[in-house]
Amino acid sequence: MTPLERAEARFGWKLVAPTIVILGLLILYPLMYNVYLSFFDVQLNGSKTFVGLENYIKLLSNADYYSAIATTSLYLLGTVVGTTLLGLAMALLLRDPFMGRGLVNAAIMLPYVAPVISVVFGWQFLFDPISGVVNYLLVDLLGLWSERSNLIGDPDSALWVVVLFDIWKHAPIAYLLILSKLVSISRDQYEAAAIDGYGPVGRFFHVTLPELYFVLATVVLLRLIWNLNRFEDVYLLAPNVETLPIFTYYQAFTGVIDQGLAAATSVIQLGVLSIFIWFYIKKIMKW
Amino acid sequence: MLGKKTIKGRIGFALAIVLLVSFSLLPFAQILSTSLKHQYDWGNPSLIPQSINWDAYKELLGLTEAEEVEIPAAIQKILNNPKLSAEKKQAIAAKYTANDNLFPFGKYMLNSVIFSVGAASFSLVFSVMGAYSISRLRFKGQVVIQRSVLFVYMVGGVLLMVPLYQMAMNVGLASSLWGSAFCLFLIYIVQTLPVGMYMLGNYFRGIPFALEEAAMMDGCSRKEAIIKVVLPLSLPMLATVFIYCFIIGWNEYLFASVFLKQYPEFHTLPLALQELFVSKNAIWDRIMAASMLTLAPIVICFLFASRFMKGGKTDGGVKG
Repeated sequence: MTPLERAEARFGWKLVAPTIVILGLLILYPLMYNVYLSFFDVQLNGSKTFVGLENYIKLLSNADYYSAIATTSLYLLGTVVGTTLLGLAMALLLRDPFMGRGLVNAAIMLPYVAPVISVVFGWQFLFDPISGVVNYLLVDLLGLWSERSNLIGDPDSALWVVVLFDIWKHAPIAYLLILSKLVSISRDQYEAAAIDGYGPVGRFFHVTLPELYFVLATVVLLRLIWNLNRFEDVYLLAPNVETLPIFTYYQAFTGVIDQGLAAATSVIQLGVLSIFIWFYIKKIMKW
Repeated sequence: MLGKKTIKGRIGFALAIVLLVSFSLLPFAQILSTSLKHQYDWGNPSLIPQSINWDAYKELLGLTEAEEVEIPAAIQKILNNPKLSAEKKQAIAAKYTANDNLFPFGKYMLNSVIFSVGAASFSLVFSVMGAYSISRLRFKGQVVIQRSVLFVYMVGGVLLMVPLYQMAMNVGLASSLWGSAFCLFLIYIVQTLPVGMYMLGNYFRGIPFALEEAAMMDGCSRKEAIIKVVLPLSLPMLATVFIYCFIIGWNEYLFASVFLKQYPEFHTLPLALQELFVSKNAIWDRIMAASMLTLAPIVICFLFASRFMKGGKTDGGVKG
C-alpha cells in the first residue's frame, strides 16, 4: 500500500464513520437485540424474564398468527399482481408522446407522492356507508347489492379496499420503472417482428414482454419487500385488517402487551424478508 | 402500437387516459370537495359543493375568533358560593370555558416541520459524506459497507419498533418528553440515511472523476475538490434527496405513535390527524381540510423536485 492509498483509505473511513455508527447502533444492533428479546418475557417498562422458546411456542400455537399470515399473503398477492399489471398498462399507454402527456404524468404521480395520512381520510369517505360515493355507485346506481354496506368496517372486504389503495398509491412507481425500460426497446425489433407477420398482440408477446422480463421481476421483488413491512397504509385506512406488521404492533403496544411475542414475530418476519432481499441482491443487482 | 391511427383507436386511447386520470385524482377531488362542503351537503355524491364553506380552513388556520363559552347556570351558582376558595373557582371556570374543540393545526404542522426538516438536514450531510466515501474512495471493507447499506435500506420500521423502544427504555430516554422527542429525531435520521446514501452513491458514480482530478492538479485538496466541484455539480440531486428525506419524515406515523402518543403538545401531523379522526368530535370537513393542508407542502416540493428529476427519474424510485 502506497502512502497515497493509505491516506485515501483513511479519508474514506473518516467520511463513512458517522453513517456506520448510526446505522450500526440503530439498525443492525436493534435487529440482533430483537432476537435476544424474543427469548424473554418483556414488559413495556423494560423489565425482562428469560422464558426460552416460550414466545415462539405461543406464537406458533396462536390461531391469530396464522390468520395474519393468510391476510398478509392475500395482501401481497393482490398488491403485487395489481401494481405490476396497472404499472405495465400505464407504461404501454403513455409510452408515445401525445399532447398533454406532462400533465397526465403529473396527475398519475400524485397518489405516489401524497402523504398517506392526507389521503386515507378521503378514501374512508369514498367508502363511507352513508355519504360515500362508492356505495352510491355500486348500490344506488348499478344495484349490485340490495343495501349499502360498510366496506371498510368489515375486515374481509376491507382487505380488498386496502389492496386497491396500495395499487392506486404504488402503481406510479412500477410505471416509472417499466417505462424507463420500455422506451429503450429499439424500433428495429418491432419492425422485424412486423415483417415476420406479427400483429400488435403478437409483437407485445414476442418483443415487449421478453424485453421487460427483467424489469417486471424487479418490480415484483420490490413490491414484495416493501409491502411485507407495510404498516401505515394498512393501519391508518383499515386498522381491522391484521397483516403481520399490524398484528405485531397490536401485540407490542396495545391491549394485553406482550413485547417478547412481538419480537418473536419480527424475528420470523426478518427471516422471510432476508430471503426476498437476498434474491434481489443476487438476481437483480447481480452481486 | 395501440393502433392510434384509426378513429376507434384514438377514442379508445382518450377514454383510457380519462379513466386513468380519474382513478388517480378522484380521492383528491373528493377530499377537496368535502373540505369545502356544508354538513347538509356531505351525502350528496356530486363533487361540486352547493355553496362554498371556508369555515374548516379558517378554523384550522386560526382565523376564527375564539368563541366565548358560557358557563352553565348551575355551575355559575357553585362559583358564586363564597365558601369555595378562589383557586378552586378558577379551576372549575377554566374547565367549563376551555375550548376543547379547537384543533391546534399550526402547532402540529410546526412540529412536523421541525422533525422532518431537521432529520432531513442531518441525513443529507451524513449521506453526502458516506455516499462519497463508498462510491469514490477505495478502501478495504468498502464493498461490505455498500451492501449493508442496501440491506438496511430495505429493513422496515416495523421490524425495529420493539427493540428500538426497549433500547430507549433501557437508557431512560423513553420516559421523558425531551428524551422521546430526541429518540424520534434519531430514528428519522436512521430511516432516511440509507435512502440518501443509496441515491447519492449512484449519482456520484456518474460524475466523471477527471473533473475532480483537474481540481486537485490545480492544487485543491480532496476535501476542497469535493466542496468546489462535486457538490455544485450535484445540487439538483442534493435537493431531490433532501426533499425525499423530508417527505419520509413528514409521512411517518408508526414511530411517532410509539414515542409521542402520550405527549400531545409534540404530536406530528399524521399522529394528530389520526387522533382527531378517532376522537368523537371529528368532523368530515375539518378532517378533509386538514388533509389538504398536509398535502400542500408535499405537492409544492414535488413540483419543485420534478423539474430536477427529468434525468434520473428512477434513481430514488425504488423506495415506496
